[in-house]
Amino acid sequence: MKQKLLFQTPEIKYCSYRYQNIITKYEVIIDRSRCTECGLCVQTCPKYIGTARFDYEAFQKHEGYLRIINLNSQCKGLLCQKCVNKCPTKALSVRINPQYLALGDYRWTSDLILSIWKQAETGKLSNRYEYKIGSSGGGFDRLRFDFELKNKRVSNNQNDIEYIDTSISLNKSNDGRPRIIIPIPVYGADMSFGSVSLNTMLARAKAAQAWNIFTSTGEGGYPSELIKYKNHIITQIATGHFGVNAETIKRAKIVVLKYAQGAKPGLGGHLLADKVNSDVAKIRDVVPNISLFSPFPFHNVYSVEDHYRHVQLIKDINPEVLVSVKVSTPTDIDMVAIGCYYAGANIIQIDGAFGGTGAAPDIAKNNIAMPIEYAIPIVHNYLISEGVRDKITIMASGGIRTAYDVAKIIALGADGAVIGTSELIALGCKRCANCERGRGCPSGIATTDPILANYIDPEWGCQRIINMYSSWKKQWDYILTKLGLGSIKELLPKNKVEFKKGRFNHLIHLDHVR
Amino acid sequence: MGRSINQIDKIITSKKNIITNLSIIKNDTIEAEGGCGVIGVASTIPIKGKYLFQSLIQMHNRGNGKGGGIAAVGLSHKQLGVTPKILENSYLLLIAYLDSISREQVEKECIYPYFDIKSVKKIDTINDYKVIGLEVKPPDVWSYFVNVKEDAINNFKIINGLENLSREQLEDEFIYRNSYMLNTRFYASLGDKKAFVLSHGKNMMVLKIVGYAEQVIQYYKLEDFEAQIWIGHQRYPTKGKIWHPGGSHPFIGLNDILIHNGDFANYHSIAEYLKQRNIYPLFLTDTEVAALYWDLLTRTYQYPLEYAIEAIAPTTEKDFTMLPKAKKKIYKAIQTTHIHGSPDGPWFFIVARNNLSEKQLQLIGITDTSMLRPQVFALQERDIKIGLIASEKQAIDTILSCLSKDDKRYSPIADRYWYARGGSYTDGGAFIFTINKSKNLNCTDKFGKKVKILDNNKHYFKRETCNSQNFLSINKKIFRNLEPKVLFEYLSNNIRNWDIDRTVLFLENLRKYASKGHIEKTFAIEILTLLIDRRYDFGRKFRSDLITLYEEKLYEIFNSLPQVVANSVNKYFRIDYNQRDKLFKPLTSDQILVVDVYDFKAEGNNGTCQFLQRAYDLGWRNFIAYNFRGQRNFGAGLITSEKVKIDIYGRVGDCLAAFADGPEFHVHESVQDSVAYCFRSGKIVIYGDVGKTFEYGAKGGVAFVLGDLVDRPLINSVGSATAIINGSCKDYLGESCMSASGFTVINGIKFSENGKILSQETPYHGGNLFPLAAAGTVYLRDPFKTVGEDQLNGSKISSISNNDWKIILPLLKENERLFDIKIKYLLTVNGRVRKPEHVYRKVIPLKVVALTKYDRGM
Repeated sequence: MKQKLLFQTPEIKYCSYRYQNIITKYEVIIDRSRCTECGLCVQTCPKYIGTARFDYEAFQKHEGYLRIINLNSQCKGLLCQKCVNKCPTKALSVRINPQYLALGDYRWTSDLILSIWKQAETGKLSNRYEYKIGSSGGGFDRLRFDFELKNKRVSNNQNDIEYIDTSISLNKSNDGRPRIIIPIPVYGADMSFGSVSLNTMLARAKAAQAWNIFTSTGEGGYPSELIKYKNHIITQIATGHFGVNAETIKRAKIVVLKYAQGAKPGLGGHLLADKVNSDVAKIRDVVPNISLFSPFPFHNVYSVEDHYRHVQLIKDINPEVLVSVKVSTPTDIDMVAIGCYYAGANIIQIDGAFGGTGAAPDIAKNNIAMPIEYAIPIVHNYLISEGVRDKITIMASGGIRTAYDVAKIIALGADGAVIGTSELIALGCKRCANCERGRGCPSGIATTDPILANYIDPEWGCQRIINMYSSWKKQWDYILTKLGLGSIKELLPKNKVEFKKGRFNHLIHLDHVR
Repeated sequence: MGRSINQIDKIITSKKNIITNLSIIKNDTIEAEGGCGVIGVASTIPIKGKYLFQSLIQMHNRGNGKGGGIAAVGLSHKQLGVTPKILENSYLLLIAYLDSISREQVEKECIYPYFDIKSVKKIDTINDYKVIGLEVKPPDVWSYFVNVKEDAINNFKIINGLENLSREQLEDEFIYRNSYMLNTRFYASLGDKKAFVLSHGKNMMVLKIVGYAEQVIQYYKLEDFEAQIWIGHQRYPTKGKIWHPGGSHPFIGLNDILIHNGDFANYHSIAEYLKQRNIYPLFLTDTEVAALYWDLLTRTYQYPLEYAIEAIAPTTEKDFTMLPKAKKKIYKAIQTTHIHGSPDGPWFFIVARNNLSEKQLQLIGITDTSMLRPQVFALQERDIKIGLIASEKQAIDTILSCLSKDDKRYSPIADRYWYARGGSYTDGGAFIFTINKSKNLNCTDKFGKKVKILDNNKHYFKRETCNSQNFLSINKKIFRNLEPKVLFEYLSNNIRNWDIDRTVLFLENLRKYASKGHIEKTFAIEILTLLIDRRYDFGRKFRSDLITLYEEKLYEIFNSLPQVVANSVNKYFRIDYNQRDKLFKPLTSDQILVVDVYDFKAEGNNGTCQFLQRAYDLGWRNFIAYNFRGQRNFGAGLITSEKVKIDIYGRVGDCLAAFADGPEFHVHESVQDSVAYCFRSGKIVIYGDVGKTFEYGAKGGVAFVLGDLVDRPLINSVGSATAIINGSCKDYLGESCMSASGFTVINGIKFSENGKILSQETPYHGGNLFPLAAAGTVYLRDPFKTVGEDQLNGSKISSISNNDWKIILPLLKENERLFDIKIKYLLTVNGRVRKPEHVYRKVIPLKVVALTKYDRGM
């Protein structure tokens, strides 16, 4: 039976990568000393017209040369090599692009990055790049859905998959406040103005509006340019209270109280002086070019009854707002979660150890807090034993990279996920980590330098994110279809998470099965 | 006094005998302790339980109904049905039975064999626990007055090698270990929990349930039960479906009962420390280890209170350097030995004890060295002396208010309220109320210094003897032609000569005058407000009595105002909780809405914050809110670009004016925590003291405070947030301030008993002034340069320039206008008026070096 379309998904529009020479997996190398510019390679290249071309103008000036251009990363490289074989002078060779090898790391592999770029470009998957799994050797990368192991060849023809209800509710309590429902189980993570540029924020805000989800201001204040998207902007109150005031609380549908961040638990926000230009300073009401430290704790919240008081204050200032509480993952995350419930939070956002950050010392980033895939089952199980799991929404964040990661974390007990890095990658982020060293994000995303920031056009960025989520939506539809489930809410376990012989709730942990 | 090392050693090693089954005790998963609310009261005459009741309800939003407990010390032998001798000399063993069948077994195994039983009784309860809203049936509690049998003591002495202890000390230790064994056998074992000991000290009782603390009083019918010391605790535990109150507070030593607000970080460290001394916790909450640790220090080691407090809350940083040499030596030794048992993290303890050796009953409040939990102390000294300690001032005021309604010897306002500074050399962060044998109550700090209120020259107001007839009546005609300021000038100079009766008469005439019309009302309200706000010579009357009178009259005037109706040209309208839905738009914006806040809920849909917003949206711009009893978030989030004035009377609660943007608040009372949090613009004037985290994250606006701040004001302030503080600040002022154009002025003054301005010892007490600040300025009125570089952390002290004076002078002028604190007096040092640069100094931040990614940690 065809499901009634509950939500009109935004239109996919082709949205190419900004730069001409996209990083691709393979590259073809021309030995100039042997190349006679006969052009046979161009004619031979199967299907992918324009993979090579003559640079005609240059040729006429007698400076011309044959250039191999991998448009749309279509070159199949080592799997094809027709041009190599055809070349009469053996001038061509093919290899894996060293840039491809340099790109990424074990968690965010080059395939995953390129796959996101592809999805952001076309709104569809391509089989070229692995899009589900990284190579970290643990966590999500060792979990599979049962259907994945049954049939290795995943159908790429996802256009035929039916639309399935992937909506989740952000207010499951009975506090009389709006029962906000979002059509896909994700919304955008907190990235402050100062850690990213205004154009980046606008791109994310527009995409959030198109998908009827949310994105967050981060702790750096609420730029006035975002006001027209206010129904999709979450105001964050962090310990520095930068740019937070009664207006931004009353304007928002959701306020997130950031008690901690998974990437640097125990540390407050830290914006390096170089990034605090006059715009950033103005919105945060401070002097430019000083480093901004948010304290670690809220100095008026040192105990759970203080936390209750804090949540109730926000709820009093805006009688309609939902309150989300963002915490990191200490070993007693279950206590923290139940405390948040009793304090009156509608959403608890659990930020795991592999989250990103605009700035934090390495020793903190690399060594503290629990990965999210361990924390979520702990919280889910505990809230079930307390009898309150169905009264609060759990959003997971910190290292959730792909649509499959989202589905897995839901299967492990979260209601949905908060997506940060993936959105930036959709905008072209290469994960070079320069953002943590000052101003110099070469992609113009995580910077407030006005020249670099211009690299991102908000409309273009918006469409890239829309496309990515469109592709993810189809993947969720596909997963749910394969699992025989009617909605994503059915993927959320009703009972406690308990792996038996490596299996639980359609998930298989590869470490525990043969 | 004091014990030999040998004796202590024997006591500790022999404890190993009772650790029979280690596997029981291996379970190390600690129950989470949430935060809570605590209150303690000590009085020279016994107080009935019902007075504790209201203040516990007052602290509901500090608990979640999953655990509450109370304790009483200094009981009535009549009510317990025993002779005074038994009450004094026998141990009152209270056992909670969690099922109906275990009593026989418990008595057979733990009580009959060892004890001479003087009296046995089941504590009376109401019939049905559900009637009072409880979900879990409280345990049946039996009380046994016992002494240890002679041969049991002798055996005990011999087996454990405790020949050198006195009989009483032996008996104490026996009781203690017997209770421990009872608990291990019937509670801590794997399997069903059957029974546990609630308390076993002399002349004291502990009761606790799964519910709110006041439900203990209801369930066990303690409304009329009398005791000289009560403590109560609202728990906010977060773990587990709780079905038994074993983990609730209070916890006991032997003759000491402890309750705790907070949550240590180092439970395991303290538990290890205790295990090294053969003390194994059973109930797995941090409060229990605190009680065990306290008992170890005071009873086993026999430390005097001062040393026990030092072991728990060590003196450090600048405070340590300020101690006299002899104390430094001892304290260093104490810290070296005991630091691992010292709790780390937010905590505030209240201990009620029966100090048998000195024949004293004591109530002690101890605060942690980082001052992370709120605490208020209060004292009233009249015919009856009463000392109080609580997490919130509102809770104290509620008890006093209830008491004074029934007994005119109490006043609804304490004579003095104050806060402790944890780990300080000034008060040690602890205060002790002691009731001695002659029924006198004294308050001392950790070092034994007395807190004095009672000036022998003062009379307090004995209401029952007030007779307002037969005296000269003041001509009402006077009022009509007087400016309020002029009349107030007259009053402030003459009230010292008036006795209470004349004052009462004057106020009554004022009230009658006010009933004539709204101009008269405005006059009367202004006069009464000035009388409440200002400090002047009260003569031989207590300020608290006068304030009570002023407030009463003021409320009488407010209560007589007409109700809100549409289209009326009255100036004043009154509304209260029951009429809250009948709010109309005002005709003009200068009409004043007078809100009786009493029955509004503490927060939420029927709270004061949303009501005020609704009234503002309807068009009201002038407000008087009175009769507060701790309601929170009033004025929070109120945004306005018009002139809005809000006057506040009564015990207003936390988060007042938080996130406010534009209005002008005048608070005619001291306030507590998180006031003006993220205040964006507007003005806030406090005619009293301020609690914790004042103006935290403030972005602008101006604040004026008549009295002192506790700690952590103006943290993370930005923009132009500015504050003038006339009193002093205890610690952590302006941490991480980034305010480019804002500043803080601290005058460090106080008022003498006759209204004169005096300098305090120092404007700033603590060791962390302006830490980690990136911008901003703190001006200190510090002519004697009491504040030193060792109190700074990332800032430096320098002298002020003409420019600085130009900046702060306009605000000091406004300060003068509001509080009548003349700039001339501020600049007067040792009788001479000096130049500003000799009186004021400034603190500014050092340049902050930006950290880079490669810094290993911050």
